Amino acid sequence: MPELASIAARLDEAAVTARAVAQLPEPLSLDNAYAVQAALLQCRYDRGERRIGVKMGFTSRAKMAQMGVDEMIWGRLTDGMLVEDGGDIDIARYVHPRAEPEIAFLLKAPLAGKVSMTEAMAAVAAVAPAIEIIDSRYENFRFSLTDVVADNSSSSGVVLGPWCDPATDVANLGMVVEIDGRPALIGSSAAILGHPARSLVAAARLVALRGERLEAGDIVLAGAATAAEALKPGQRLRLSVERLGAVGFRTRMG
Amino acid sequence: MTAADIALSLRTAQETGQPIAPIRDLLPAGDLDAAYAVQDANTAHWIDAGRRLVGRKIGLTSVAVQKQLGVDQPDYGMLFADMELLDGAEIAAGRLIQPKGEAEVAFVLERDLPRPDSTFTEVLGAVAYALPAIEVVDSRIAAWDIRILDTIADNASSGLYALGSTPVAIDRFDLRLCGMVMEKNGEPVSFGAGAACLGNPLNALVWLARRMAAVGRPLAAGDVVLSGALGPMVAFGPGDRLEARINGLGSVRVACAA
Repeated sequence: MPELASIAARLDEAAVTARAVAQLPEPLSLDNAYAVQAALLQCRYDRGERRIGVKMGFTSRAKMAQMGVDEMIWGRLTDGMLVEDGGDIDIARYVHPRAEPEIAFLLKAPLAGKVSMTEAMAAVAAVAPAIEIIDSRYENFRFSLTDVVADNSSSSGVVLGPWCDPATDVANLGMVVEIDGRPALIGSSAAILGHPARSLVAAARLVALRGERLEAGDIVLAGAATAAEALKPGQRLRLSVERLGAVGFRTRMG
Repeated sequence: MTAADIALSLRTAQETGQPIAPIRDLLPAGDLDAAYAVQDANTAHWIDAGRRLVGRKIGLTSVAVQKQLGVDQPDYGMLFADMELLDGAEIAAGRLIQPKGEAEVAFVLERDLPRPDSTFTEVLGAVAYALPAIEVVDSRIAAWDIRILDTIADNASSGLYALGSTPVAIDRFDLRLCGMVMEKNGEPVSFGAGAACLGNPLNALVWLARRMAAVGRPLAAGDVVLSGALGPMVAFGPGDRLEARINGLGSVRVACAA
């Protein structure tokens, strides 16, 4: 559908030029929103980027209630979004970036459709502390559910910390984000659906609805443990996670 | 109104279950010592009446809450033996006015801390073990309309508390990064970590130990200290049940009778 392709092209240009666009004038169906997302990712693949996994969104009850929905959303991650642990990002390349503390899973086997928590965890090769940099391409970070799905669920950057033993109990890990050494966000991995592995189960189910599967080698970002923090130039961010260690990056302008 | 008069009105509110208007304007603006004098008057009254002092609670241990109330330090209140609940206990209807639950790390001491300049390592060495705790805070001020002077005078808004049942040595879990989740009726509603309490619950304990020695009620072996909330407080009422879990430390529950 040419109309969906043109929406994807507009969102892709917004991401590439770091200039916000207006919300979509006509509400999309959820199917069409995911179709726009697929087309949007094709633009990235055409530029040589490679899919490396998925991210989950709206994984807290509070966030779902705030958005008036009862389902999670997901987006695709590419290698172009990877930021090195300890590296820096150029704020000018984003519209209005925010950081969220997360737990990442690395898969060693495919997962798709209805899987149990045990099956999901059996497919996990490692877990890591992670910071997701989200950036809506819409003005003022405001969007409907389908708007944000079309915009690849605000995916923008991923900073992965050290990969740890997959047997680590991740149900209730304390998570502290410090900005320039001061605690700014404090929470627990329990805020991610009560247990981050539930997000992995949901990811397998939701990608299968779109005819895809999670692959061996995929990274799955389970969702935010706290509210997101807006980024400014010249900051040092560091996430410390109980039992998993720390991950961080710096921001600069230009 | 004297400190004794204000203390009496707070005490009456507690005994009758009828909350009162804020008392902050009855005290000199910003005079924390005057507010503690009110608290002290009630402490003395209650000890005379036979209540047994078994510990302390530390409040305002979140930097965000301190900013909200315009202070740069925590506050403290007294814990009496009759405020203790057993794990899973039901609070009788009408016992509290407007309860809220907070998940905390409780420390139990095995040595006295008599010095106003107790060092971090001295405090560390005085801790026998830690337990998970739910502090059930309550306010004798109507609708929780409190400022710093109101809460200090009102025994730091203390109510009741429940402790988990498995003692854990403080080198067996990560005091700074331990995750905390509190569920209300089975739904997770409050999340946090050790760092939310002054960066580390032990920091709060050090502050309290020095402060209590300075004001003449030093911490002693056997005392229980509720060190401060690890996440947002949760209001609960008749029929509600709270469960708090602190990673590495265990869990604890309280309920309100229907």
